[in-house]
Amino acid sequence: MSNKIPCTHCHLEFNKEVMIVDGEHYFCCNGCQGVYHLLSDEGLDGFYEKAGNVKLTPPTQQYEDSSNFNARAFYDKFVKVNSDGFSEVSLIIEGIHCAACVWLNEKALHKMEGVIEANINFTNNKATIIWADNIVKLSGIIDMIRAIGYNAYPYDASLQEAHANKERKDYYLRMAVAIFASMNVMWIAVAQYAGYFTGITQEVKTILNIAEGVLATPVLFYSGWIFFRGAYYGMRNRVVNMDLLVATGALLTYVYSLYITVVENGEAYFDSVSMIITFVLIGKFLEILSKKNAADTLDIIGKHLPNEVNIVKDSNIVSCGLDDVIIGDIIVVSSGEKVLFDGEIIKGSGSFDESNLTGESDPVYKSIGENVVSGTTSIDADIHFKATKDFAHSTLSNLVSLLESAINKKPKIEQIANKLSEHFSTTILALSFLTFLVWWFWPHSFETAFMVGISVIVIACPCALALATPVATLVGLSLGAKRGILFKEAAQLETMAKVDTLVLDKTGTITIGKPEVVKEHIFSKYDIELLHSLVKSSKHPVSHGVFEYINKNYDNLKVVAFDEFKQIPASGIVAHINSTELLGGNYRLMQDNGIEVQHSSSNTLFYFAVNKKLVAIYELRDKIKDGAKELIEGLKKRNIETIMLTGDNENAALKVAHDIGLEKVYFEQTPENKSDYISKLHNEKRTVVMVGDGVNDVLALAKADIGIVMGSGSDIAVDVSDVVLLQDSLSSLEDAFKISRTTYGLIKQNLGISLIYNSITIPLAMAGYVIPLVAAISMSVSSLLVVGNSMRIRYKWRQS
Amino acid sequence: MDNWVIAMMLGASIFLGAVALFAFLWAIKNGQFDDEEKFLNAAKFDGESELNDAVNIDKKREELKKAYKPE
Repeated sequence: MSNKIPCTHCHLEFNKEVMIVDGEHYFCCNGCQGVYHLLSDEGLDGFYEKAGNVKLTPPTQQYEDSSNFNARAFYDKFVKVNSDGFSEVSLIIEGIHCAACVWLNEKALHKMEGVIEANINFTNNKATIIWADNIVKLSGIIDMIRAIGYNAYPYDASLQEAHANKERKDYYLRMAVAIFASMNVMWIAVAQYAGYFTGITQEVKTILNIAEGVLATPVLFYSGWIFFRGAYYGMRNRVVNMDLLVATGALLTYVYSLYITVVENGEAYFDSVSMIITFVLIGKFLEILSKKNAADTLDIIGKHLPNEVNIVKDSNIVSCGLDDVIIGDIIVVSSGEKVLFDGEIIKGSGSFDESNLTGESDPVYKSIGENVVSGTTSIDADIHFKATKDFAHSTLSNLVSLLESAINKKPKIEQIANKLSEHFSTTILALSFLTFLVWWFWPHSFETAFMVGISVIVIACPCALALATPVATLVGLSLGAKRGILFKEAAQLETMAKVDTLVLDKTGTITIGKPEVVKEHIFSKYDIELLHSLVKSSKHPVSHGVFEYINKNYDNLKVVAFDEFKQIPASGIVAHINSTELLGGNYRLMQDNGIEVQHSSSNTLFYFAVNKKLVAIYELRDKIKDGAKELIEGLKKRNIETIMLTGDNENAALKVAHDIGLEKVYFEQTPENKSDYISKLHNEKRTVVMVGDGVNDVLALAKADIGIVMGSGSDIAVDVSDVVLLQDSLSSLEDAFKISRTTYGLIKQNLGISLIYNSITIPLAMAGYVIPLVAAISMSVSSLLVVGNSMRIRYKWRQS
Repeated sequence: MDNWVIAMMLGASIFLGAVALFAFLWAIKNGQFDDEEKFLNAAKFDGESELNDAVNIDKKREELKKAYKPE
């Protein structure tokens, strides 16, 4: 349409009539107008020039009071004091679309009195802000960000993520040094090799040795520091690990080469030193890249909960920290808020979403005298209730501590590479020492014996072994990522390959989770706009299903303003407009209004009546997802037993199970039941995958060997799970199994290659046929074999 | 060719390489690779006013540092 014009601030296009006219500017809403004037008053209107035609999100009304951010508890949790004594906070800024948004936020903050530094990362929308707390408070900063049309909320940067980034950066630095030095050492080594075959004077050799030594020193002691550290911790725990092997091999070669350089006789092997460290370091780095931080789980629940509630004190409503609420306090909950305490309603009524606890999506209606349970969410209820338990003993805290213990007790299946490397390292070190002794006592010079001993370590040096697992898992992870399957940790690929039992949730996993209209019966003509507006205002899943259906089948529907609108819990909706009465709801609503209807159907029925006359019936059903049956059959072929656990009732559960061909079904399961069942399976020595989506599955997801969550699942479920399926389809679940098994096969192949290589070369080295020079070259060959094999699998998968 | 030529060339090139390496390490530590977009955008868009801002920020920080006494 031609009469659409863009809003001056956000550039979204609307019809001219609905816009706010302000001089020569047009705005879509008051928010945009306000931001525009603020920016021009502050001299920040250069923003629009920079932003060009990028469409922004119109600023939204902020409900949360920003003074919450000044609370002591909040400062303790999120605000750090840096070395200069200034305060520092990490924020996530919402609504950043382009470089101009970053510019605007930084500029606006820099203009503020007391703000010292504001640094916004465009890639991940995270900001670090440093300010002097005696001049401006955090709430002032957040108010400013909100005033210019964005929103900000803090996150705890001291936790997992910052830690992981720091570790990664540390590895970058060490790898930069190692790769730089190794490349240069290799050039010098070319001269050495050329001299070895064509003749070289001892002086030139010494010069080259010194140059190599200079380059190899930082590699060994800076880049290789990780291995010395790892070896030390391993020794303290009485474990011979791969780090020890690398560290001794590299250190001995280094010392020997130094000795050769000083006595100016023989061959120095600084190139082997830097090569070993560089290769194994790269392998380790790949591992770090695909590793989930252990600390990841600590704050899961905390970040989804507000840290204050409103209570009534001396007939005023004041906010209060969770731990300061005592039994008997009156707590205020308004619609849309989470209930954080257990208690008894003393004022108001309304529906609650209890799906967190029961998994059932139907709202539960509660009124005065009934109990509310913590962890549920108020849908439309504005209530006052009396706390009957303090926070530490509430149902919610109970769940949290159960969850934490489930995460801590999660079984760790030992990885094949770890198992192998311990024996491997011990064997090699022993063999090398033995070789040295034999050669020394079988009269050879100390130097020859020492060199042969070292060549055993160098040739066995587990470059290929160190690369075998990380390269294979990297291939697996990338195969998964392309298909929308995110493994949070590489090790989970291996665990998943060993799984023999699959536990499925019903609602949202096997079924879509939302009732959809499957049949429409129209008895007499009616205005579809009335029904559209009627169901639009209700949050009940059934009315939502009808709403979606109408939206899909009709265009250009206007919203009708009702004279009167009422939701009757557990029945439906009643509305009046111009002496027309509209009724939309279930069988009970019809009966209560004296309307005769038939009601025999296996589906959920939604009746719509105008002026006490039934005009339409909609049949709704929670549909089973495509491919569910094929999945179950496919898994049977792979010898994986499939079990369904659901919070739903017997009828619904058995019907779905029958439709998809499942035999083992457990119904009416609470979250605790589900997690107990997983423990039972563990006791039977089974390796279990749990697939779910809701908060009621969280305990079981955390406890299972692998927790898989559908991408549309709740935030907490996504957090505790190990694998996320971005496309909600069941075929990607099957793909996840396939990929993990392929990867595991690949790991075994790669380990096999490196072991076969070693079993050929080690005897040769012990016999003294391999000088370290050759060992260093063949080391690269074995690493290339492993990488090449992994690429082969990747290529094969790409073709399919 | 005298041996000292080899020694000198090796020394000089390793030294130059090391300078470049340290510049790179400094850049990593300084967070210049943390946000791939920002530095590119700065190269594209930054003008005189951004430079002035940067100086002003430094000034402001120094002033505040002098005046600021944390409790």
